[in-house]
Amino acid sequence: MIQYAGILLILIGIYGLLTETNLIKIIVSLNVFELGLNVFIISVGFVREGVAPILTSVNNHSGLVFVDPLPQALVLTAIVIGLGTTALGLAFARRIYMKHGTLNIEEIGGGIND
Amino acid sequence: MINPVLLIAIPLLLAFVSILYKGYRNNLLVFGALVNAGLVLTLGKGEYLIGGFKPPFGINLVLDDYAFLGLLVINGLFLLITLMSLDKIGENATVLLVALAGLNGLLLTGDLFNLFVFLEITAITAYILSASSRQYQHSFNYLVLGTLGSGLYLFGLILLYAVFGSLNMADLSLKMATADTSQLVIPSLLIFIGLGVEVKILPFNGWVRGVYGNSDSLVGPLFSAVYAGAMLLVFGRIFAQVIPLGAYLKTLLLLLGALTLIAGELAALSKTRIREILLYSSIGQSGLIVTLFLSGLVFPAVMQLFNNILSKAVLFTVAGQMADTTGTDDAEALQGAFARHKLAGVAFTIAGLSLIGMPLFYGFVSKINLLFGVFSLDNYWLPGVILLGTVIEGTYLIRLLVKLWMPGEEGLVSHESHATKAPLEIQRARVMGIVVLSAVLLVGGLMPGMIQNNLSESGRLLDETTPVYLFDLKGGQ
Amino acid sequence: MTFDILIVLMFLGAVTAYLVSKADLKAGAYATVLFSLGALVLLLLGRGEIGSEFTILFMGFEVTTIGWYFSGVMVLVYAMTAFFNSYWMDKMIYPGSYNFLYLFSLGGTVGLFFAKDLITLFIFWEIVVWSSTFIVPMGKSRRAAVVYYTISTIGSMATLYGIMLLHRISGTLDIQGAFAPLKNDPVLATVIFFIFIMAGLTKIGIFPFHIWLPLAHGSAPHTFSPVLSGGLVKMGAFIAYMSVGILPAYEAFKGSLTVMGIPIQIYALMILGAVSIVLGTLMAIKQDDAKKLIAYSSVANGGYILIGILLMDQLAFAGSMMHLFNHAIASAAAFLAIAVVAHRTGTTKISELGGMIHRMPLTYLTYLIAIISLAGIPPMGGFVSKWLIIQGLADQGLMFMALAAFFGSIGSFLYVFRPLAAVFLGQLAPRHEELASAPLLMKIPMTILMVLILFFGVLPGWILGIIGQIQVAAGIEPVMMSGNSILAVNGVLNTLNVFMVFGFGFLIALVIFMLMQKSRRVGLMDTYTSAEFIYTPELYHYGSAFYAPFERLYARHPSVEDFLMALAYKGHEAGLMVNALFFSHKPGVTVFWITVIVAVVTLGGVGL
Repeated sequence: MIQYAGILLILIGIYGLLTETNLIKIIVSLNVFELGLNVFIISVGFVREGVAPILTSVNNHSGLVFVDPLPQALVLTAIVIGLGTTALGLAFARRIYMKHGTLNIEEIGGGIND
Repeated sequence: MINPVLLIAIPLLLAFVSILYKGYRNNLLVFGALVNAGLVLTLGKGEYLIGGFKPPFGINLVLDDYAFLGLLVINGLFLLITLMSLDKIGENATVLLVALAGLNGLLLTGDLFNLFVFLEITAITAYILSASSRQYQHSFNYLVLGTLGSGLYLFGLILLYAVFGSLNMADLSLKMATADTSQLVIPSLLIFIGLGVEVKILPFNGWVRGVYGNSDSLVGPLFSAVYAGAMLLVFGRIFAQVIPLGAYLKTLLLLLGALTLIAGELAALSKTRIREILLYSSIGQSGLIVTLFLSGLVFPAVMQLFNNILSKAVLFTVAGQMADTTGTDDAEALQGAFARHKLAGVAFTIAGLSLIGMPLFYGFVSKINLLFGVFSLDNYWLPGVILLGTVIEGTYLIRLLVKLWMPGEEGLVSHESHATKAPLEIQRARVMGIVVLSAVLLVGGLMPGMIQNNLSESGRLLDETTPVYLFDLKGGQ
Repeated sequence: MTFDILIVLMFLGAVTAYLVSKADLKAGAYATVLFSLGALVLLLLGRGEIGSEFTILFMGFEVTTIGWYFSGVMVLVYAMTAFFNSYWMDKMIYPGSYNFLYLFSLGGTVGLFFAKDLITLFIFWEIVVWSSTFIVPMGKSRRAAVVYYTISTIGSMATLYGIMLLHRISGTLDIQGAFAPLKNDPVLATVIFFIFIMAGLTKIGIFPFHIWLPLAHGSAPHTFSPVLSGGLVKMGAFIAYMSVGILPAYEAFKGSLTVMGIPIQIYALMILGAVSIVLGTLMAIKQDDAKKLIAYSSVANGGYILIGILLMDQLAFAGSMMHLFNHAIASAAAFLAIAVVAHRTGTTKISELGGMIHRMPLTYLTYLIAIISLAGIPPMGGFVSKWLIIQGLADQGLMFMALAAFFGSIGSFLYVFRPLAAVFLGQLAPRHEELASAPLLMKIPMTILMVLILFFGVLPGWILGIIGQIQVAAGIEPVMMSGNSILAVNGVLNTLNVFMVFGFGFLIALVIFMLMQKSRRVGLMDTYTSAEFIYTPELYHYGSAFYAPFERLYARHPSVEDFLMALAYKGHEAGLMVNALFFSHKPGVTVFWITVIVAVVTLGGVGL
């Protein structure tokens, strides 16, 4: 079930990217997209009734079902990278605002040398 | 034997050091680029484990001939471009060092997720570098599309992981070879789009015009040669060597590549600003190289890739320099610009002719090879498309060269007095750099055997079935 | 040994000429003379080595009779034109590069004809294309260079496709071997025939690819127009020969539909040749620029050459081979004469000139002889070759082709007369009263060419002998000579007798001219105007609206040039559309396309 939530979030994010004209909202849409992606990745490693893949004094018999740890590690990395791009995108948005006085992408010239 | 991880680690270390010692940033950058270029020559081929886990569980670096050649050219170009445009680096030395680490990582890694990380690192440096034109809306556009693209790439690779349970390229390619290709359609498409944003495949490359079109003499060659080269090599790694494409998807993606080629060349034909002409030409060339990779012609694609990036480094350096010093890069306003800059003009001309694929230059060798390759697949429409692209490309490049060399109004004999009065300056370092690059193109064209032997070796090791054509021409193959 | 030295020498010569030009421009121009003359000498010395093979770098060469003949024509034109270079050194924007490219393209043309494999052929072909592309814009038009390049490249890329296809089929690039499998496969042979010959058609300037000739020949530097028209155009004839002779087209098309005994594939191209003859002639008649006029006449003559080569028979083929030599030297001579005029007066507009015979008689004589030969009037070389072509056409009963050939011959009287009458004869404009005659160095090549045109018109035996060898090598019956007579089916042409008759007529005319009263020279402004003041003296010029009544007959002709330009504009528009559709600073546009692609692929995939 959880992967459908992820895909839904991805679609919402893409919808946002398609329709939003505000720079900040575009970045938010991108974040929603990434969030959905992360949820989806987690869902790939999910195993019903699985436990964390750590052998402890309690959990050390061979009948254990582990959750796949790799997607979780991937998500961790993806979150960090997403943070970086979000920060950079916000910095760009701020610079655009300083230069053009607006955050609406329709109001910013798209010409090459302007 | 030197571990190739140093190629990633040294620039990263220097990047951190350069934050501490801001005064020495540029020195550290040059040092890093020099060390890397030197290290590449001493590398030994093979697989290197990172962290001690054996593949397919751990991350590994793969240094085969494909990666080696890529590293050689990318590091060499990186060094040359930084040396040429040291005065343009300014605040960006740290970013460039990170970029170098990321680019080397892209070429070396044998793991799909690791590739994603390097993709993002490289892309973030590219966003920052693109902002040096102060046209932030284009950088923002690039950032959004780049992030979305790598997100889709990540989506694709996680689907692959869900199906095959591995992220290691070699392991995956073995598992996928026997898999049902219909399972692969969606993940391969997502990965294709993800990489397509970076390698400038047509509908995904909306950012290129704004970013390349405003590039200066550092960012222009860096993007069009170093970044584009590395990204295309990654594309080739994944689509020619890892992911097998089903007939349906392959046809569609081939069409997309061919469309990129023709549309890019047509768009370039309709432009008058030099950087715009060149950026659309880059798009067209990307389309061509992507088509070759998708057809499984790794060796011709790599040759054409090298031809493209070596030429583009020269062309974009000069074009960026024109824009930097005169404030415009409109061909009409710059007519006869080479009358006062003959040496730079000759280098520009050689690069242009090589890009078209004129004999005596390296581009001819690669063009003939790729045509042999495409015909060997019994594909008869693709060479027609490629040659049509060559005709269009030749038309606008010759038009540009003629405009830049021969000033004058129609109906009057070309004379220096018509030449532009724009205060064009081309620094000596840049002239030397582009002369070196064009000399490489010339030598490659006159003595194809020399470069050929190195390249063909790589072609063979990549894939036993990759057709290898030797250009010694005792009657063909 | 001679030929590899020859080819390498030209490329070394190019570099040498460039370096010498850096020290002294004139010396650099003289270097081009020396090297091209050296090439001529080497070629003549090396005639005994026909059949030898050699390699340079990775390229294989083989000396054949036809290759030797073609490169002889080429080198002769280059060597003669080179004498003019030194006078244009101070007018060129890059004189050193001009000298370099001049010899460089010469090296390319020489190597081209000796190529043993198709890639070598293509390499040299493209070398010539790009090196000459950079010479053309040094003249009056930048656009001309681009049009020239584009049309050449359309041809050469089509040919490259043909080469690759041949390699795929036969597994070899060797010229003889590559065509071998086509003999038994008419469909494939048809495809290859049309694709491969494209480079030839574009280079000769066959309709609809003729538009580059008037542009490039008309506006190239005056010293390069002779080479373009006399020399480089003939490269196309070589490709045409390969497509018919080496393919061999007649054998491969044995089973196909025939028109008047000719396979329809070949006949289709002959029609293009005939159209070129008619079109070139009509367009030449209405030109006011002397260089454009000769350029259009090259279109017409290219048509003759193509038809003759396509016929591959005893007479027309021999005529065509000879015509390409005659046309090369005659059109070079005509362009050189115009170059002298341009050198002295600074213009090539017919209506701005007049009476040049009084200032430069030798140039006039050169031009006279050249255009008589171009028009195919005895006793010049052009007559012999056109006679042979028309004989061949008549022999095969190809009446439409013969009609076009006759039309071209008669039309050529009209267009050669125009510059003759208006540039060289007529009244001398007042501003040209003080002109000097041609400098000595220009007189040398003009005299040589003049003598050659006349000599081969009177005694074509030597050249027809070589052509006979070419025909034997190509497997067709050689042209027959007996003494000074050329034996054809429908008649015998004794060129010496023709010359005697014309010489006799000339003598009688000379006697009358000497004995009779001298004509009085009338200046351009010496006219009766009923006390009206002349505001526009140009209108009183002999050459203004020279053929107005005739030109009116086809003033509203359709033009393929408009069509091609519209096509180019469509390409431009398509480029703008790509730009508008896909490239924006708004991420939403690209995101939209990504979703479209994903949707198309997924939905398409469901269907499968």
